[in-house]
Amino acid sequence: MFIALVGILIYVSENEERWSEFKQPIRATLVDPDKKWVRTTFLVALPLFVGYTTFQQTRPRIVAPIQLRSIHPAPPGSITFRGKTINLTGLENPLRTTGSMEEHLKVGRRVYYQNCLPCHGDRIDGQGHFGHGFNPTPLAFETGTIGMLTESFVFWRIAKGGPGLPREGTPWNSAMPVWEDFLTEEEIWSVVIFLYEQSGLQPRRWEAEPASGGEHD
Amino acid sequence: MTRPDGRMGGWADGPARLWAVAVLAIALSAHPPVRLAAQDVQAGKVVYDKWCAECHGETGAGDGSAAKWMLPPPRDFTRATYQIRTTASGELPTDADIMNVVDNGMPGTAMPGWSGKLSAVERRNVVAYVKSLSTFFEGAAPQAIALGKDPGGGAEAIAEGRQVFEKLECFKCHGQTGRGDGQSSPTLKDDWDFPIRAADLTQGWLFTGGNSVQQIYTRMRTGLDGTPMPSFSDAVDAGVLTDEQLWKVAHYVRSLSPERPPQVRDVIRAFLLAGGVPAGPADTTWTGVERFWVPLVGQIVIKPRWFIPSVTGVWVQAVHNGQELAVRFSWTDRSQSPERAWDEWLGRVVQGHEMSDAPVPDRQGPDRLWVQFPKQVSDEAERPFFLGGTTRRPVYLWRWTSAPDAVEEGSGTGFGQFAAASGDVEVTHGARYDAGEWQVQFTRALVPGDSAVAPVFAAGEPIPIAFFAADGSNGETETRGAVSAWYAIYLDVPTPPGVYVAPVVAVLLTAGLALMVVWRAQKQSRT
Amino acid sequence: MRHCTRQALSLLFLAGATAPAMAQVTGTVKFTGAAPANPKIDMAEEATCKAKYTTGPTDPVVVVNKGGLGGVFVYVKSGLPAGKAAAATTPVVIDQNGCLYHPRILGVQTGQPIEIRNSDAVLHNIKAVPKKNRGFNISQPTAGMKSTRTFPVAEMAIPFSCNVHGWMKASVFVMDNPYFAVADENGAFSIKGLPAGTYTLEAWHEKFGTKTATVTIPASGAATATFTFAAS
Repeated sequence: MFIALVGILIYVSENEERWSEFKQPIRATLVDPDKKWVRTTFLVALPLFVGYTTFQQTRPRIVAPIQLRSIHPAPPGSITFRGKTINLTGLENPLRTTGSMEEHLKVGRRVYYQNCLPCHGDRIDGQGHFGHGFNPTPLAFETGTIGMLTESFVFWRIAKGGPGLPREGTPWNSAMPVWEDFLTEEEIWSVVIFLYEQSGLQPRRWEAEPASGGEHD
Repeated sequence: MTRPDGRMGGWADGPARLWAVAVLAIALSAHPPVRLAAQDVQAGKVVYDKWCAECHGETGAGDGSAAKWMLPPPRDFTRATYQIRTTASGELPTDADIMNVVDNGMPGTAMPGWSGKLSAVERRNVVAYVKSLSTFFEGAAPQAIALGKDPGGGAEAIAEGRQVFEKLECFKCHGQTGRGDGQSSPTLKDDWDFPIRAADLTQGWLFTGGNSVQQIYTRMRTGLDGTPMPSFSDAVDAGVLTDEQLWKVAHYVRSLSPERPPQVRDVIRAFLLAGGVPAGPADTTWTGVERFWVPLVGQIVIKPRWFIPSVTGVWVQAVHNGQELAVRFSWTDRSQSPERAWDEWLGRVVQGHEMSDAPVPDRQGPDRLWVQFPKQVSDEAERPFFLGGTTRRPVYLWRWTSAPDAVEEGSGTGFGQFAAASGDVEVTHGARYDAGEWQVQFTRALVPGDSAVAPVFAAGEPIPIAFFAADGSNGETETRGAVSAWYAIYLDVPTPPGVYVAPVVAVLLTAGLALMVVWRAQKQSRT
Repeated sequence: MRHCTRQALSLLFLAGATAPAMAQVTGTVKFTGAAPANPKIDMAEEATCKAKYTTGPTDPVVVVNKGGLGGVFVYVKSGLPAGKAAAATTPVVIDQNGCLYHPRILGVQTGQPIEIRNSDAVLHNIKAVPKKNRGFNISQPTAGMKSTRTFPVAEMAIPFSCNVHGWMKASVFVMDNPYFAVADENGAFSIKGLPAGTYTLEAWHEKFGTKTATVTIPASGAATATFTFAAS
């Protein structure tokens, strides 16, 4: 808007004639006796407006302390799951290559509805009937976030929960339970399958080999 | 439309008529009446199996795998008993009635609204499928009942509505203040013998059928099938009350809830008072103090979890006078636990629901309210874990119980892990139970005697605060109840004079400048 | 037997049944052993109802007098041809008095009007939860109010209850024919109008379950049947 204003001023001041033409109504307002009321109105309104704006700037504002949070913290290379070490790098969902997908989906669906639904919701949009009580609110799965993540990342988040977040993820605010206390490894992998199936998203896959000389994106 | 010969055409002309018909056809197809054809049922089953079956069950009997983790439990479609309808008591719902709940969900329950998630076609199909789950719908054509006209609201209507509310004895279930603590409330059950609560009329935003006057009136006309809430249409027909009086009861009920659902704010303000802080929760000073709503939800994070909490939230008010801070809480609790009459209720809870992680105690405990602060309030962004703190970062707690009526003060190093402070307790309290509502006030000096036990409350900066509430007669305990996230409480400071000085200076400067500009311009034009 | 012949026979049978007949089955439902005490009802919170009792009210689940068990529903379980009898139009009354249903056990025919009355000056709601019929839940806030409902489908033991007074309970039996009776407080019952033949009767009690008895009604018209329930 400022640039537009400057542009207009440049245009109108291009030559004397145009400049006097432009100044004419302004001068008239300031000087003409029959425009006295217009003048008076401006003289009253402008200072009051400035005063009001200043007050808005100076009055004490109460703001909640800002809690900066990294939404996608870097995952660790490996985790322990009930004492067993699991290497996350390069790890794909083992259930996708063993057993029946239908069975896995059935288990995953049951696990989700019995454990996750109150926060993450029936619509998997983070608006379960308890979702509004927590801050930050539960993750919405259907927005596409998990499409950017590997299944091993999702496994880590579920197994280790809020307390498993690094400091930049504000673990002290997270209501995400530590699911390794409640679920088996297979149940967690199953619910991961359910999340992708229900949201229609595809997980990010580890590359078979790193691109030669390139970055791992 | 101008014809080739120059005359203006009229609406009855051929092409115009065609256009009109086309527009009408398009308009009608965009909003077709809710008509369901046989093939919709199969398409509906696909939707149902993906989004509904795990709660409502494969056969629609309300016995999905998640059912025992919810109260109220998911609807059993096989009996074709529906709560929110426009048809007479015991009647089937219309298609629009079922669609209404599919679209908008049921507030206060686990049933979400699907209008943003499923397409209109998908929702129509799933309605057709849901109907097919009960033979009652075969060949049936339920009709909405005729409803009267709203005579209008206002103070008089509300007062008369209150009188009719008493005459009809609504308080027997809903209680004198509408909080659902009436004498028969402990024994209420639904058609499937699950425990059910009379609605808290002060939390209208949680009404399953909506909170407008029209919606409330319609519920009283039709009754809520499957629940203890009866229809009053027979009473109107019998002349016990007029239709207008029923509308006025609806106006009265509407007046018990706030105009709008309470906005949740991150910061609770403790207002600065001159003089002493209120003596107790019944002190009249509190009526002028703004209240802040904090929603509470089930503690489903740490074992043993609790999926069916009784308390939905607390109202918080706070004041301080530079020396003492007083914080008052009020919330709906239909019982003063432990209360013998509610043993029957607890029995139903234990029977009907899956108690994750550990069995529910079969004896009622007391009601509880905990207020939690970080033990060390610091500038750092990092705080103790919101659920009870940790050993590394403990929390400071005020733990109130209803029986005995007492407050413990001390530190928490984890959820359910509490060490009472030795020595004198800094915080005092007062508690009062009034017609379905607990009112509890905590008072403490801003600067405590022993700051190793209790943190200093400094004015002018937000202090993290969190809450936990439990209803003993619902089987809730010191770890099973309803929790909140971290909020903040801010103790107001007197406004520094500079706040007022700067705007005044700005006004004067601007006025002065403006006058100068005008004077110069006028001087120039005179010369 | 050909279908239309069977239909004609049924019609004849039903026509004969509606005519006044001397045929009847009378009998007693006996009770052996000590009658268990009925649970006490705490009506402290409903003074209007409590005032109607001189001795603390109890829930009349088990009614035993002179060795007979009352409140038993007796009906013909088998032996009748299929089909519905002519509709009965006389309303059957169930009354709420003293915060209890009177009678507690009620038999009606399909389509027969049930008149629900409130004789208490307090709020009652009458909730019927059938399985084969559509139910209802109606409010009767004042004494003198009457509401009428019917059930079109035969069904056993439809529970009626009041949510304001959780102890109130009644069981309503909806039958396709008029051959049923409720035993009185001494256990006596009589079912009129059954034509000659062999039938299985069943007696149903809320607490003690069911007992059956076979009865043969001779051409002359009268027969007796006895049921015996025992304390557990």
